[in-house]
Amino acid sequence: MEDYLSGDEDIYSSDQEDSLEGLENEESDSRWASSTGNSCKVITKESLLVAQREELRRVMDLLSLKEHHARTLLIHYRWDLERLFAVLVEKGKACLFAEAGVTVLEEVNFGSSVSSLTAMCNICIEEVAGSDVTKMDCGHCFCNECWTEHFIVKIKEGQSKRIRCMAHKCFAICDEAVIRKLVSKRHPDLAEKFDRFLLESYIEDNKMVKWCPSTPHCGNAIRLETDDLCEVECSCGLQFCFSCLSEAHSPCSCLMWELWTKKCRDESETVNWITVHTKPCPKCHKPVEKNGGCNLVSCICGQAFCWLCGGATGRDHTWSYITGHSCGRYKEDQEKKAERAKRDLYRYMHYHNRYKAHIDSSTQESRLRDTIKEKVAILEAKESIAKDFSWITNGLYRLSRSRRALSFSYPFAYYMFGDDLFKDEMTKEEREIKQHLFEDQQQQLEANIEKLSKAFEEPFDDFKAEEIAEMRMQVINLSVVTDTLCKKMYECIETDLLGALKFSCPNIAPYKSKGIERATELNGGRSTKANNNITCQKAHDQTNGGSIELVQPSGSGTSDDSGCSSRKRRRTENSGGAFFDLNLPAELIDRN
Amino acid sequence: MVDLARVQKELQECNRDVGVSGISVTLKGDSLTHLIGTIPGPLGTPYEGGSFKIDITLTDGYPFEPPKMRFATKVWHPNISSQSGAICLDILKDQWSPALTLKTALLSIQALLSAPEPDDPQDAVVAQQYLRDHQTFVGTARYWTETFAKTLGTEEKIQKLVEMGFPEAQVRSTLEATGWDENMALEKLCSG
Repeated sequence: MEDYLSGDEDIYSSDQEDSLEGLENEESDSRWASSTGNSCKVITKESLLVAQREELRRVMDLLSLKEHHARTLLIHYRWDLERLFAVLVEKGKACLFAEAGVTVLEEVNFGSSVSSLTAMCNICIEEVAGSDVTKMDCGHCFCNECWTEHFIVKIKEGQSKRIRCMAHKCFAICDEAVIRKLVSKRHPDLAEKFDRFLLESYIEDNKMVKWCPSTPHCGNAIRLETDDLCEVECSCGLQFCFSCLSEAHSPCSCLMWELWTKKCRDESETVNWITVHTKPCPKCHKPVEKNGGCNLVSCICGQAFCWLCGGATGRDHTWSYITGHSCGRYKEDQEKKAERAKRDLYRYMHYHNRYKAHIDSSTQESRLRDTIKEKVAILEAKESIAKDFSWITNGLYRLSRSRRALSFSYPFAYYMFGDDLFKDEMTKEEREIKQHLFEDQQQQLEANIEKLSKAFEEPFDDFKAEEIAEMRMQVINLSVVTDTLCKKMYECIETDLLGALKFSCPNIAPYKSKGIERATELNGGRSTKANNNITCQKAHDQTNGGSIELVQPSGSGTSDDSGCSSRKRRRTENSGGAFFDLNLPAELIDRN
Repeated sequence: MVDLARVQKELQECNRDVGVSGISVTLKGDSLTHLIGTIPGPLGTPYEGGSFKIDITLTDGYPFEPPKMRFATKVWHPNISSQSGAICLDILKDQWSPALTLKTALLSIQALLSAPEPDDPQDAVVAQQYLRDHQTFVGTARYWTETFAKTLGTEEKIQKLVEMGFPEAQVRSTLEATGWDENMALEKLCSG
């Protein structure tokens, strides 16, 4: 407990921390990533076992079970300890076990019958030697040949995670050690596959763990330590939304992003326009657009047809009448439809163009990074000027970070103020007010991003010391302003826009000044045994909501711990080394 | 590979007490993997009196994989396809256990005949009729039993009368004339 307290004391007051984060995107990216409090972890092929060890351990300790029983339970409850413990509290141990197919038999006198010289196997209906039969935990006993065959069939069927006993209506899950032992005798490769299936259940069946969606696949999975919706970065470098596994798209919600990408892919607006503004020629079926004139249209293939009904006609006509042709025409609706399609298309194009422009700028700016590095190298070679150029890296980082947020704010606005998602959520007037509010924020952000971007275009490698100092101040200021504006825009989105909706409440990944969190490598043993005992103790003490408490401490508690300690370390480094960060505003340095 | 030794044992075991259960399993050809099971329609059901043939195919994984079973005799039942004879029964799918045998599976099918589960239907048309118009359902099921589940019985009837010394063509026409009532046909054959 002491540890927690001292940890708390050491955390900066929040606004201090914020301004720090805004400025401190220092040189080596990996350092800050590991210090942000590890709310997500990379699970590699190697650490997969370690990753699930803790959950297994806790179930084993609490219920005094063997590992394979604990795993069966966890697989059944999809690695959701909270739920598992809730069932335990609500329905009791017997029910918990029965539902998952765990049978724990006390060692009764079964031994004697098995060790008799021969036994009858009810599957192959053969007498077999007593040494060639195996009794499962549920008490059912069959010959090893039959067990092996059964396991092989089940593994091939893809049921490795829940192989049931062979007896009819026995729901017990077989001991994985027995399966491994028997199968590996005949099919070592299949036994390996079985092991992998079991291990990977931790990823497949666990809502807190997901495969990294990279292609080609990097082999990693990411584990979240808290429930919050967020965007993460795998150690392979891919940034993605943990919730929908597509690329990071905040402040768009997952649904918005899905709709948007689909829209962009289909170019559905164009298709829409074509269907409204053109008609297929009745002969060659090419779409024909009418660009004026009367309702008799002729296609380039020579076919004439009536624009109103699309039917083929002769060529003899007047302004209002086609010889031998009449179709009941009701024009109004058609015009309205055309009007609407045109409006929708323009609206979509407005947002899409801006979205695209910022995405393009973002790519260009990331290319800029290299040229800027060269310029920095030149500057560093000059003796006369101050050596610290971390403000450039930080500024560049700020630029790319906010540029992304800005680009995704366009599809967000498209859906927020469009008819697709929230048409009935607000009145026209409300929507207008909110749109203005949001656009104000967006524009301010946009203006500052452009300024920041422009600052980096300067040929600063030729600058004199004063000019450099001036640019430095400008970049630092703009970085801070941009970060604040990003935060404000998110605040507006989260509280005034999405938060104010009556019916739906879409979630978006929150804005983080430090950017998308990079998952850290999992290092063995998240929690100690002592910690386990404490949490178990807690569960017994608390009657209400104990199950929730149960899970939290070791997960977020320990990660907080390590987060604090690394922060602490960093701080001592700073003060001990007598450096102070030139990027920090004066008052902050004073406080330090 | 199919565990042929076990199949052979199962056949012996099953056919030993055909008298009691009425359930038999015979070879379809000369292979142990294609079999015909026969179950009597349960008493007190529209299937009573019928003899139902079930086509059994054993896959390589048998008995670790369920046997493939299908009604060869047409039958009107919510859980059996009136078209293909496909059976909707859990133990023939995911609830199969290697400890079950062909005989227990056939017994389960027989039990299914007495206790349909219209909520989990194989044949939607039959199931709807079962739920909405039970009277018609019973009628249809009985008619199907009479028409299809007893057809092989007619061959036996012919066989029986032929063995008594009547020429086969005459037996057939007389049986047809009397609506396959063997007693009436016998009377008719004797009298004229």
